[in-house]
Amino acid sequence: MMSLNELKEMIEKELGALAFKVDSEAPNLIIINVEAPNLFEVAFKLNHMGFDHVKVVTGTDYPIEKKIELVYHVSSYTNIDLAKVIIALKIRLDKSNPKVKSLVKIWPSAEYLERETYDLVGIIFEDHPKLERLLLPSDWDQIPPLWKDFKIKTEGIDA
Amino acid sequence: MSEDKFMQVLIGPQHPGSGHMRFIVKMDGDIISEFEPDIGYVHRAVEKIAESKRYIQIVPLVERPILADTANINLGYILALERLLGIDAPPRAQYLRTLLAEINRIHSHLYGLGIHGIMIGSSTIFMWCFADREIWIELAQELTGARITYSYMIPGGVRRDLPNGFNEKLSKAIAYMEERLKDYEKIFINNPVVTARLIDVGIIKKDDAIKLGIVGPNLRASGVAYDVRKIEPYCAYPEIDFDIIVRKEGDAYSRVLVRFEEIKQSMKIVKQVVEKIPSGPIINESYLKLIPPKLREKAEQTGIWKMPAIFINLKPRKGEAISRVEAGRGEVTHYIVSDGSPNPYRFRVVTPSFRNLIAFKYTMPGHRLADIPAIYGSLDYFPPSADR
Amino acid sequence: MISLDQIIRLIFFPPIFITIVFPGLIALLIVIVFLIWLERKIAAKVQLRYGPLYILKPLGGVIQTVADLLRYLFAEVIIPRRADKFSFIMAPILSFGFAFIPIVALPISSKYFAFKSDLSLLVVLALLTIAPIFILIIGWASDNKFSFIGSLREGYMIMAYEVPLFLSVLAMAILYNTLDIIEIVETQSKWVWGILLNPIAAFVFLICTFMMTARFPFEISEAEQEIVMGPFTEYTGIIFGLCMSYSYIKLYILSLLFAYLFLGGWYPIVWPFTLNPIMPGIITLIKGLIVMIIGIFLRSVYPRFRVDQTLRIGWEGMFVLSIVALILSFSLVILVK
Repeated sequence: MMSLNELKEMIEKELGALAFKVDSEAPNLIIINVEAPNLFEVAFKLNHMGFDHVKVVTGTDYPIEKKIELVYHVSSYTNIDLAKVIIALKIRLDKSNPKVKSLVKIWPSAEYLERETYDLVGIIFEDHPKLERLLLPSDWDQIPPLWKDFKIKTEGIDA
Repeated sequence: MSEDKFMQVLIGPQHPGSGHMRFIVKMDGDIISEFEPDIGYVHRAVEKIAESKRYIQIVPLVERPILADTANINLGYILALERLLGIDAPPRAQYLRTLLAEINRIHSHLYGLGIHGIMIGSSTIFMWCFADREIWIELAQELTGARITYSYMIPGGVRRDLPNGFNEKLSKAIAYMEERLKDYEKIFINNPVVTARLIDVGIIKKDDAIKLGIVGPNLRASGVAYDVRKIEPYCAYPEIDFDIIVRKEGDAYSRVLVRFEEIKQSMKIVKQVVEKIPSGPIINESYLKLIPPKLREKAEQTGIWKMPAIFINLKPRKGEAISRVEAGRGEVTHYIVSDGSPNPYRFRVVTPSFRNLIAFKYTMPGHRLADIPAIYGSLDYFPPSADR
Repeated sequence: MISLDQIIRLIFFPPIFITIVFPGLIALLIVIVFLIWLERKIAAKVQLRYGPLYILKPLGGVIQTVADLLRYLFAEVIIPRRADKFSFIMAPILSFGFAFIPIVALPISSKYFAFKSDLSLLVVLALLTIAPIFILIIGWASDNKFSFIGSLREGYMIMAYEVPLFLSVLAMAILYNTLDIIEIVETQSKWVWGILLNPIAAFVFLICTFMMTARFPFEISEAEQEIVMGPFTEYTGIIFGLCMSYSYIKLYILSLLFAYLFLGGWYPIVWPFTLNPIMPGIITLIKGLIVMIIGIFLRSVYPRFRVDQTLRIGWEGMFVLSIVALILSFSLVILVK
């Protein structure tokens, strides 16, 4: 049985300078902040440690800072100790050019999650096997709908 | 190999066996060589709409995509929200949440079993499951006042207390269901045609299941003993005795069996919940104070709590929270980013069906056209829940 | 001036009575209406539902199928633009027709038949095998992938069910030493029923009947959840009605044939022959109906097999069993001699 802090220290040691900040948050969250170029290597090392699948891929738009935050929530199925925590792998991308190397090669479970994030948040995942529209119609030509500057047109009856 | 060797078949969205999605299937004779699910036909932008709603308004919103399993997805959202608010539900409310979650799991599994039955042609199991599902819906209605969209869990507790005479109705339902499950075994589980159709079809090996991040009964049927109720126990689960059903085969038949056995486990849990349920308030003390004394008195008599309007201004701390919950179809993950305002800054929900979507692409190739409904049904996939 | 007596004599003139009244058009229509209703009603009973109820409520909605037929009759017949119009319309009509023609070779009793032939059993079977060819044409003419796949499935199945079916009939023909249905029934009245003489042949014939008429668990060429309605995907209105009744006609004829071959046909007759053709006809029909009801009851028990599994059942199961049935017949014949 490993406590959250022990695990956090272990991850810090394993990643070294690749991660610029590692936080832990009760009861089960470890947040790793990474620079975009290091993401692939960090993911590789985490996968090696036993974090074998991606739960969530989220893109959040911060229009004032002109950044998009990309979060991978990963955890483990095989290792019970690791399964008890969720790792949030965070990177910040420029909104003008949101490009990052896809992690599908490391975690195949990210395939549709990344594709959805491309679809709705507009992050371009390089080397993704099939980066196409998923939920939106294939002829969608407006800005990604989960950006804050995308306004929903209401019919005037909104509560 | 020339392109002419293959035939492209587009199944859905207007097809009796596709649901609200389309399969782009490349056939080599009767064998599937490529399979691409095309979803998004019932995308309702829940995540975007949530950004313009208050926290309490999101409770009914998150239920809408997953109509067969509303209690569990609602519970996941509430757990994430409570983590942000820094409050907890009292013990009685935790037990009531578990009760509804398990009742919902039973009727969600019955739904899945029935749909799977009709997909491979057994209309009898379809009708039986949907008829017996009614019993559990009625029970849930007794408890919550709604048949499908319960909105039962609220931040800090639940809306209603256990009604009078609920225990008798529940034990009656359990006794009835146990008898019925024996009939199901005769007509479906042990039916020679069913076993011929499902055994060794759509095998997901353990390694593949982990790699693809499959969730729920589908994962457990592949031999991975992962159940959030055991890994990260929430609500009353730490105090309740139940087993995780795991099978090694990983084929369509084992997925059916896992669900079938889970119905029995859920009934076991429900029995324990009503036995062990402690007395006490059903809403957190700090929220109880907000309710005007007159309403409180009335609520204590009837056991039905009306949320005061002040709840609309619920403001969690700045930060983020993630919660996971084992819903009927698998793990639901809610991720909320809050900027301290009454609306969430970013709301993200990943449903089990969306996580299982990837299984279609990698399991179908190599099977026959007739196996598509057999595997589709065994994954218990629900298109509206994947599209959100 | 035609007298009433003449009209009655005209109606009871065997070639007319057999094609028009029984076992021809009128009986066929009534049986189909009744059978489809019964199929739905039995399934409903098993599945804890009411089933058809509101049309003629005192009798449990027994004429529901008539209402459905009327609805088909008034529905617009849509012909897809890319379909081959001539084959698209003609194929279901011809398949219906060819499925119906074998009825003329079915006798009602040993004294009452449209025509007597040494080969009447062979005539029935030969005519029955023509109809499925038009299903293949439907699949091609519809220009729809599901229709195409459905008719290909039917094509594969034809081979798998026809060979064992014919072999099982051959086994019975060896046993009775004739191919004349009348003589077959007469022989049975002297001996015992065919089902007791050669139960293996009866079993093979029954299973192949269900394969041929797309009953569950062999409802593979139509398989709604897989290929919509198979060959009949593009059909609407009354032509779809024809397609739907096509398999019921085949079930009807094969069930009557089963009654002749294995269940002693119109025997036992207790009345004197003055009631010919009504009494023997009723007995045959009842025996046939029992077979049909077994066929429709399977719907509420079994899901459907996959096409490759059905082919395996046809070739590895039924084909082998029909050979065994042949050997059994030979040895019985030798034993008796």
